[in-house]
Amino acid sequence: MENTIDLSKYDLSDEELFTVIKHDETESEKITAPRYSYWRSVFRVFFRKKINWIVLGILLVLLAFTYIYPMCVSFDRFANVRDETSKHLTPSAAMQKYGYTIHHILGTGASGEATFDAMWFGSRISLSLAIVCALINMFLGVLIGAFWGFSKKLDLVMTEVRNIIANVPYELLIAVLVLVLNRGFWTMVFALTVTGWLGVAYFIRTQVIIIRDREYNLASRCLGTPIGRIATKNILPFMTSVIVTYAALEIPSYIGFEVFLSYIGMGLSDLTLGRMISESQSAMLVPGWGFEFWSPVAVSAILSIVLFVVGQNLGDASDPRTHM
Amino acid sequence: MAKYILKRLIHGLFSVIVVVGIVMILVYSLMNREQVFAMDPLFNKVSANRKITYKHERWEEYGYLDYVNYTEWLTAQVAAGELEEAVRSKVVNLGKDAESDSEAVAEYVKKFTDYYESQGYTVTRLNTVLAGKKRANGGEPQLFAAKDKPVLSRLVSYFGHFFQVDSVGSVKDYPGERGLTFTLYDPLYGGQKFSPAIIGSGTYHKYLLYCDNVFPYIHQNLLSINMGTSYSIERGAEITSTMGKRQGSYVLSEVTYPTGLTEMSADDLHTATYQAGSRESSVLYSSRFTDDYTNVSLFRSGMSRMGYSFMIGIISVALSYLIGIPMAIWMAQKKDKAVDKIGSVYVVFITAMPSLAYIFLVKAIGDRIGLPTTFNIEKYTFAMCVLPIISLALRPIGSQMRWLRRYMVDQQNADYVKFARSGGLSEREIFTEHIFKNAAIPIIHGIPGAVLFSLTGALITERVYVVPGVGGLLINAINAYDNAVIVGVTLFYAILSVISVILGDVLMSMVDPRITFSTKAR
Repeated sequence: MENTIDLSKYDLSDEELFTVIKHDETESEKITAPRYSYWRSVFRVFFRKKINWIVLGILLVLLAFTYIYPMCVSFDRFANVRDETSKHLTPSAAMQKYGYTIHHILGTGASGEATFDAMWFGSRISLSLAIVCALINMFLGVLIGAFWGFSKKLDLVMTEVRNIIANVPYELLIAVLVLVLNRGFWTMVFALTVTGWLGVAYFIRTQVIIIRDREYNLASRCLGTPIGRIATKNILPFMTSVIVTYAALEIPSYIGFEVFLSYIGMGLSDLTLGRMISESQSAMLVPGWGFEFWSPVAVSAILSIVLFVVGQNLGDASDPRTHM
Repeated sequence: MAKYILKRLIHGLFSVIVVVGIVMILVYSLMNREQVFAMDPLFNKVSANRKITYKHERWEEYGYLDYVNYTEWLTAQVAAGELEEAVRSKVVNLGKDAESDSEAVAEYVKKFTDYYESQGYTVTRLNTVLAGKKRANGGEPQLFAAKDKPVLSRLVSYFGHFFQVDSVGSVKDYPGERGLTFTLYDPLYGGQKFSPAIIGSGTYHKYLLYCDNVFPYIHQNLLSINMGTSYSIERGAEITSTMGKRQGSYVLSEVTYPTGLTEMSADDLHTATYQAGSRESSVLYSSRFTDDYTNVSLFRSGMSRMGYSFMIGIISVALSYLIGIPMAIWMAQKKDKAVDKIGSVYVVFITAMPSLAYIFLVKAIGDRIGLPTTFNIEKYTFAMCVLPIISLALRPIGSQMRWLRRYMVDQQNADYVKFARSGGLSEREIFTEHIFKNAAIPIIHGIPGAVLFSLTGALITERVYVVPGVGGLLINAINAYDNAVIVGVTLFYAILSVISVILGDVLMSMVDPRITFSTKAR
């Protein structure tokens, strides 16, 4: 009791020691907790890590080259196709021939095209395809997965549907669609998403089932909250981080998938990263021709890794438990 | 438990059948059927009316439609005893068009047309095609009936012929006495050596059961699986044999034929199948065989497509568990230390990078240190498998590390771990005895799938290293419009996936007694 101050020794009356504070209606309405904004906290947590600044910087540079650079330069793949001396040049040989331009810092490819330019034009289509497919899949998958997780009747039907569709080889589906329609960008998007959402939906369904029967949702249902409101207000916010993490995997996986499809000869007819890789693979082991093969490989790898890391860390940051 | 597995199997069977149905709709109804002739060398040699009938014959052979030719129909009528041979020879020659048919011919043409139109067939009459004044090559008049097969009946007939049992009645017009002989001393080994065998006559295979020195030592031909016949991948071969037949150069050894002739040959006499009239048409056969079981396969030095795929696959699966699991445990133990961070970087790289990129990286590095980068059956050494195995194992190692580490880290804060620690167990004991056992359950679920799916091979890896495996079969079949192979391979994949999920569940419930699948309420 050493800390207590003996007030009696100051010789003060009660009125001087205490004042009466009236009950204030307006003051009691004020909320005194610190301001909390979900998305601001997400970005605060995200940018707290130094590595995220670096990775985001790399991503912005890559995006600039992928989307802005092709707008600024004109590129015709077969412009030099008749000029035999322009083909398969090493960077130094290309520089000597064409002068010191940014186009030729990676040499030239099999039709005399500048590898550096071809790489970014290819990456624009590959990345666009990956992003469009991922967006469509995530949208459909989350929506359908939410219903799938909620309705037990739907679950029985959908699980069977999934067992069946998951076993139909997607290569076959793509081949048939390409034959029936054409070999264009939107055909490919359709072919990749027509069954692709199922995987996302199944993942979301499992997550929904885990959260669905938690006590707070039980309580919410007891209080008469409609199912739709439980889904959008109680469950979806809980899954933001899971969804962001999943989306982070989705885009790189589609980049890889596009590369794979082009390699087996089922890709787009346009110039993509995958097509560049599959067309130049014989150049891999020829001395001096390495750049035309390794540069699209490197771009696809770096783009995938950067997108993956950004997505993973954004997913971590969007988990409210890390916002403390 | 048994009841539950049976229920799952029936469900699985149902979905397999539906999958095959969907694939049949995709390949038979949606794909352009003219495409099947893209790889056919004979197709460009026939012309005019013959080309049209040839197309229909092929389409019938590969399951698109039912097709009956007028000539065939007449021959069948004779065989059934409803028509005299004299009449047949009179009415078999069609006129150059319907008007110029003789009266007798017109009568039978009408019979044919009426009969098949009532059955839902479309009857087509092709008039003589002239080239100048002469009949064009292949321009004979034709009359035939054709009907597209509906998906359902195609599905039923496919599964109806799926299992084929070889019995004494298998060969339709077997000349000799039908029967089975069981012997303990296989006559192929001179009748001295103990080697049980069942030899049939009137059966399709001569040896229904036999023993030899090739794994699995006892072989049977009694029950075979018929998944269809390839059209362009390996013309006329059954899909099971395309996947399972040995490849490479012939292995010669001294073979004593049934006639007593001894020669250096690669013939595997145990595989003899019936070939009607073969001895009459070939001096070679009649000098070697005492019966018409003359169609033998040959001993070859290499493994089958599936054999190579499975060998590479199974080693890389084993490697992925042997490396991935200890790495994951190590990472979980040293959470947030250097090992964990390096491991996480590896996991990020390997999951995010397109598989083609790192496979080529492995190939380039392997080339630099002098490992063989292409496969060659003739000069096979195990070193050729090293790079494919490494390429295949890299991603599963990463995924083992990622998931097992995740599960173990999650378990570390569980109450039972705190209790074990308070009970005085050492950290090592806690990790190996408690955390690992709980964390490994989801990993165990994936083992049967990983093992079974190494049978299907790996597409990119096999293509990059030129492995003669089974991985590219589906893609090749799609590119070559080989419908039967597409359906067969899909069926194979679907069966594997159904079985591996069920086996995974069973294995999981065996490892973890808390998991039960019995319907009894707990």
